[in-house]
Amino acid sequence: MLNLKKILKSREITSLAFVVLLFVGVGAINPNFLSSQNIMLSLNGSVVFTMLAVGIAFVIITAEIDVSVGATLGLSAAVSATLLRDGAPWGVAISAALAVGLVVGLINGFGVVVLKIPSIIMTLGVNGVVRGLCYVYTNGKWVENLPFAYKALSQAMVGGMTWFYLGALLLTVAIHLFLTRTRWGRYFAAVGDNAGGATLIGIPVGRTKMVGFVLCALMAAVAGLMYVSRIGFVTPTAGNGYEMKAIAACVLGGVSLAGGIGSVVGAALGAIIMASIGRILVFLQFSSDYDNTITGILLITIVVVDALMQRRAAEKARRERLTARIAEPAAAKGGEEQ
Amino acid sequence: MTESSTLPMQEPMLSVRGIYKSFSLNAVLKGIDLDVHPGEVMALIGGNGAGKSTLMKIIMGIYQPDRGDVLIAGEKAVLGKPSAALAKGIYLVPQEPMLFPNMTVEENVLIGFSEPKAELRRRLSGLIKQLNWKVDLHRKAGGLSIAEQQLVEILRGLLRNARILILDEPTSALTFDEVEALFRIIADLREKNISMIYITHRLTEVFEIATHVSIMRDGVITLCGPVGDFTREMLVQGLLPPDTEQGEALVCIPPDYQGREPMLRLEGYTGYGFCDISFEVYPGEILGLAGVVGAGRTELATTIFGRDSVKSGKVFLDGEDITGLSTKKIIDKGINYVPEDRHLNGIFGISSVSSNISAAHLGQLGRFLLDHRQETELTRRYIEDFRIKVTGQDQLVSSLSGGNQQKVVIGRVLCTQPKLVILDEPTRGIDAAARGDVYAIIHKLREQGVAVLLISSDMEEIVELSDRAVTMYQGRINQSFAKCNITQDNLMAASFGVCKEGARNA
Amino acid sequence: MKLTKIKKKLWRWETSLVVLLLLEIVVFGALNPRFLKPRVLLGSINDFMSICVIALFVTFVLITGGMDIQAGSIVGLTSISIGLLWQDFGMNIWAAALLSLIIGALCGALSGFFVAYTDVQPMVVTLGGSFLYSGLAIAVTNLSATESYKGISGFPSYFTGFSKFRLLGVPSQVLIFLALIVLSYLLLHKTKYGRSVFLCGVNRNAAEYSGINTRLVMMSTYVLSGISASLAGIILTSYLGTAKADFGKELTLPIITAVVLGGTSNLGGRGGVIGTALAALVIGIMRFGLSMAGLNTQYLDIPVGLLLIVAVAFRGLTGRSKWLGSLLQKLRERGKNKSKVSA
Repeated sequence: MLNLKKILKSREITSLAFVVLLFVGVGAINPNFLSSQNIMLSLNGSVVFTMLAVGIAFVIITAEIDVSVGATLGLSAAVSATLLRDGAPWGVAISAALAVGLVVGLINGFGVVVLKIPSIIMTLGVNGVVRGLCYVYTNGKWVENLPFAYKALSQAMVGGMTWFYLGALLLTVAIHLFLTRTRWGRYFAAVGDNAGGATLIGIPVGRTKMVGFVLCALMAAVAGLMYVSRIGFVTPTAGNGYEMKAIAACVLGGVSLAGGIGSVVGAALGAIIMASIGRILVFLQFSSDYDNTITGILLITIVVVDALMQRRAAEKARRERLTARIAEPAAAKGGEEQ
Repeated sequence: MTESSTLPMQEPMLSVRGIYKSFSLNAVLKGIDLDVHPGEVMALIGGNGAGKSTLMKIIMGIYQPDRGDVLIAGEKAVLGKPSAALAKGIYLVPQEPMLFPNMTVEENVLIGFSEPKAELRRRLSGLIKQLNWKVDLHRKAGGLSIAEQQLVEILRGLLRNARILILDEPTSALTFDEVEALFRIIADLREKNISMIYITHRLTEVFEIATHVSIMRDGVITLCGPVGDFTREMLVQGLLPPDTEQGEALVCIPPDYQGREPMLRLEGYTGYGFCDISFEVYPGEILGLAGVVGAGRTELATTIFGRDSVKSGKVFLDGEDITGLSTKKIIDKGINYVPEDRHLNGIFGISSVSSNISAAHLGQLGRFLLDHRQETELTRRYIEDFRIKVTGQDQLVSSLSGGNQQKVVIGRVLCTQPKLVILDEPTRGIDAAARGDVYAIIHKLREQGVAVLLISSDMEEIVELSDRAVTMYQGRINQSFAKCNITQDNLMAASFGVCKEGARNA
Repeated sequence: MKLTKIKKKLWRWETSLVVLLLLEIVVFGALNPRFLKPRVLLGSINDFMSICVIALFVTFVLITGGMDIQAGSIVGLTSISIGLLWQDFGMNIWAAALLSLIIGALCGALSGFFVAYTDVQPMVVTLGGSFLYSGLAIAVTNLSATESYKGISGFPSYFTGFSKFRLLGVPSQVLIFLALIVLSYLLLHKTKYGRSVFLCGVNRNAAEYSGINTRLVMMSTYVLSGISASLAGIILTSYLGTAKADFGKELTLPIITAVVLGGTSNLGGRGGVIGTALAALVIGIMRFGLSMAGLNTQYLDIPVGLLLIVAVAFRGLTGRSKWLGSLLQKLRERGKNKSKVSA
């Protein structure tokens, strides 16, 4: 347990250190950035991405991918917003959003697990379909005039932090504990690490992946609900491209797309980075138009450095193993090797 | 409870009754009966395609038999899936351990249990103490040696209260010391009344570790009983098809080395996995390079072939220093290599026979456009010369038998007209007929004056083919043999680091 | 010569695409007879030329076992580059187009380099690439005097004309597409290079052992897809007469759909450009036909997404081996990862 924790921790700590460094670095240039108010704004502003990234981490850890969360967020936001606008009780609106997530997740899981469609293809297709449904549902119009009370929800604070972010934080910690401490939770990493081996010791690989997709889509639906409250209206393109940002957040947080490595805490940290880039640019007096450029550079740099480091470590280990096999030189020969 | 936990010796722990299994029209198992009692080690021997792995998969619940039953401790077991087999106390230690590389040893062992962690840890440490094994529970499984990984697999099985362990060729990737350690473990487990099925290709191991032995051939068990009832020769007979005549060994006249320059010369060649290697291979000569798996032979070959970096020393081809060149340049200079792992490094499975054969020769097939006519001609030649059984040039290589796949790989290697061919385990896992064909190809190369470096763990093969032989042990050449001294005993002894007097020097 | 199973299968697949295409034409023709006018039908390609052009070369990437989700962002970058070079730097329009073609190639080369030489999953690298290049496109826009949302227009007529003229009634874009099909077909299926692309995808290790520089081959496919994305950007800019940074934003789904629907495996090693070309037409005509039938353009992702899923599921169900097949596949992949080419 110790060793694994060390590794997992080190990945998260790298991300955390990066977040801290980023904030301190920007703060050195513009001290206003380090004001507690701004830090809280950054955290609170990352709540939607945090939910998406944590959800998608479920899927990525099982060595699959889900690029449909952006559209899922959009549709669940549109459905719940429409219901809220039309005066439906909150419970109904929330349930409807979650139902959207559940259905999308089940469809994704069915396609990947039962029909054996590669997840990138399946979820890409579902993303298109769900986004289209979003247009159909909203008839291409904005959903506006939402009840004030629901919008105010996102502004409710507890000690500088929104209730939303506190909730997201607690949920992330709870999920982290589930994934690392419980029998079922460990299945996710096991499936992503070695699906064949998991099958042989009786871990239900298909079911685990299915659960991963469903949880991911449910989290996207929750993100949709938060989105509605925060933004206050829903366009048919709501959440467009968020899936890519959420995946980027996971990668920035040390979740490996190869599966089996990473944690939701890392994903949440990655989400903070993703959500803060625009704000950082403003504080550095750049145009926030450079947001995507920075994200791209950051993403590529981090994964490349990580891959090179991992490859070096693996190569070193391999060479050590091979060298260890060599016997001491025979008495006659001089030994310059060992 | 005592009645159920200590079964009378008459009652087998695992009993397989009349198992039949076919895949499409191909009957793989034709009525298998097999009993394993508690504390028995049943060695299961059989060539490739004999049906061993199919049988094991049926026992594990991965396949369903067409007919027949699996009985565990006298009870008929319905094994729909692997978890059901696990619940019944059957555990398979696969040839390539299937651990979770990013988890620790402890996590690997404990995953999938419903009991509380503390209780499991207590049981695990008790188990380790009882067996007196040294395991670092906090290392990541990805960094373990194959032997250590097998240990973890066995622990996994035992912690699940496995009563039947299936070990699938456990020693195939182990060093000599590791094999010894494994055998001690198996002996320990026998004491604990665990039943084991021990699948192997190595007859010596049968006498060393097994209590009983079964031989499978073509989907039937041809011979079965306590080890004491058999001799090595009887086992060999059981493995051979009933009407096989022992093939006449081809008589070779040792080549004339007088005034010849070596084609390949290694001088103090050192890399990862081997050290201070010096030898020569002459044109028209087959140099056998024997040794156990892990002795550094493949690493030596692949490093010469430009796949890994050289630490020190030189390699000369035909007098020219070719140390540290890229694979492409090495091929251009006139060396080519038939890889040890055919599936990993040899064949292009979902490609046609012709594109497999031409792959290393693409540079010469036309300027920019691929010369299909020339490719067809090339492929036709190798299909005919090597008697490769294909339905057409565009048959997919993955649909060929192992032997024919190997011939395709050899064809690709020879396409480049190498001056030196390195063959790494060229007949592993292929049938007898194909083996004969491969031997014929090697002899023909020798006649044509090509230098051949033959790497093999099959001592018989080295004896039959080599003009000279060297053995590698723990990364170094420890002995070399002239033609008259190449015997299986000498090679085997040297491979395991035992130098016999009188066998020294060529 | 006998046809092998796989060839037969592919052939059948391509036939079914032709049938699908004809079916679409019949159905849409019945819904709206105007659709069947050669002028309309042939001219429809102008609406989805980008998908056709890019998908042809993304096929190469997928055959090596890669993935490319950045091509769309290169379209926008190319478009805005042309505009900027022409308007703000006073460059000749053709020189500007050539330079942006080179920019596209460099974008592809950068991502391709990281995929081939660092073994990062292609999906992640091209995800980063899509952020980077679309971000650069916006950044470049800021260099221009023109407001970004307007785009840059007012190009000389000889530039905007080349994508619109008709030769004997056949639109020039159809001709360009045909030429590119021939070119990519020859390149992929008839040259030594094309063969090495396939071999890399089937078994990268074995390709390395055959003396093929797999890194270079893999990288080159991303360069090709980058160039094709640039070409699509040039054509789009010419056709619309406007240069904008956000062109190509929504192309990822249809491009990948076209490639996969065309019979190319996303696991690498099998596929072909004829299938891709047909599939691109199937998708394009479907979008065009549905919008002519009065469907809102924004709904068009629904049929395309469904088509993608249904096609892959169908192919998977017909040609799928058992449970063990997938397990073996996983094992093999694992083995491949383990012995990744060193140095």
